[in-house]
Amino acid sequence: MSKKGFLGGKNSNAYIVFYSTVMVIIVAVLLAFTSLSLKDRQEANELNEKKDAIVASMGLAKGTYDSVIEAYVVNKEGEVINTTATPLKKLFDLPASFAAGEYPVFENKTTGEVVLPLTGKGLWDDIWGYIALGADMNTIKGAIFDHAGETPGLGAEIATPKYQAQFQGQTIYEGEQLVGINVVKGGAQGAAHSVDAVTGGTKTSDGLENMIKECLKCYDAFFKSRTATPEAEVVETVNAE
Amino acid sequence: MGNKTFQSLTNPLAKNNPVLVQILGICSALAVTTQLKPALVMGLSVTAVCAFSNLVLSLLRNGIPDRIRIIVQLVVIAALVTVVNDVLKAYVYDVSKQLSVYVGLIITNCIIMGRVEAFALSNKPLPSLLDGIGNGLGYGAVLVIIGFVRELFGSGTLFGYQIIPESFYEAGYVNNGLMLFPPSALIIVGIIIWVHRTHNKDLQEK
Repeated sequence: MSKKGFLGGKNSNAYIVFYSTVMVIIVAVLLAFTSLSLKDRQEANELNEKKDAIVASMGLAKGTYDSVIEAYVVNKEGEVINTTATPLKKLFDLPASFAAGEYPVFENKTTGEVVLPLTGKGLWDDIWGYIALGADMNTIKGAIFDHAGETPGLGAEIATPKYQAQFQGQTIYEGEQLVGINVVKGGAQGAAHSVDAVTGGTKTSDGLENMIKECLKCYDAFFKSRTATPEAEVVETVNAE
Repeated sequence: MGNKTFQSLTNPLAKNNPVLVQILGICSALAVTTQLKPALVMGLSVTAVCAFSNLVLSLLRNGIPDRIRIIVQLVVIAALVTVVNDVLKAYVYDVSKQLSVYVGLIITNCIIMGRVEAFALSNKPLPSLLDGIGNGLGYGAVLVIIGFVRELFGSGTLFGYQIIPESFYEAGYVNNGLMLFPPSALIIVGIIIWVHRTHNKDLQEK
């Protein structure tokens, strides 16, 4: 060994290159190992969270998803279509699913209530949620919203049960017209299809309103086909006679 | 445990508090303290990262080339934060959701790099570990105090539970909206520093 030591001493270029290479490899292996070994648990957590959110929006207890929900995917015309990924998996990249014209529906097998996923943009980052409609495809049974990074205490209030409670009982149709829900700054004061905006969270509120309108619009044909079903059958029998 | 080693744990809790005396980590003290729970979990996460980054870098201190010293520190801290984030997501999913972006922001917390530079690189592993724990807890304590005041007066709740009774609101009491905004944290930090200096007279500039 020279008197300068390994690779020419602690501050030689060779030592620095060697040191950083070894360090980066060790860190990469460590992170890859952590990520891989925890991946299954994380995905299971996320899947459970989505299942719980879906049933919670209907007002059901956690863990009931598997026994009450039937999930399927519809297209813009409201017809059930087959997809390679399951409806639950679609929730992991909902914007892409909506862009592809594939809209997941989670139906309560006994009551006929449906839960629809929502996706949109808040002030800082993505917001999303689930909205549960009664069997009339008009009255909101419950709504759940969440966000990636809205300001705590301000925009993030959309994720609180207190805020979400005001959606219950609202209707999304004005006659035949799908109007969604208006999020009104200064307070809805009992107006139809309207809820209060979040104080100090105007941009998040605007994002919430857009999200509900845009996403429900995709299901318009589906809602109409559901409510029109008995009539359509009557017409068919008449024609058959 | 020697008295001096022990002091590296207790000093940053009060006398040499990272937020109150070293004025480090102010940025995140403003961001995560609107509510008590994220403030508490943030304090604990920072304690974990600060303790382990101090320990690891103290073990490595004799081999780190001077010219890439800061880069090595950043790589170690960033790797630790990533691991903490992954572990939180896997085992305490709801808490990690509560913290969201703030976990990643621990990387940029000045306390952690400040302690590595000022302490771990020139001290043995054990005192460095204790110094990391002490500074993390000192930071967490200030966060919890600010979070307590801001959530109580800003939302009337603590840990999300209603504290201020409904009858107060009916009598005309209103929550203080300023408490929900970052400037209120600065004002509270200022008040805490004032009280702290009144008690520790040797900190007062002549």
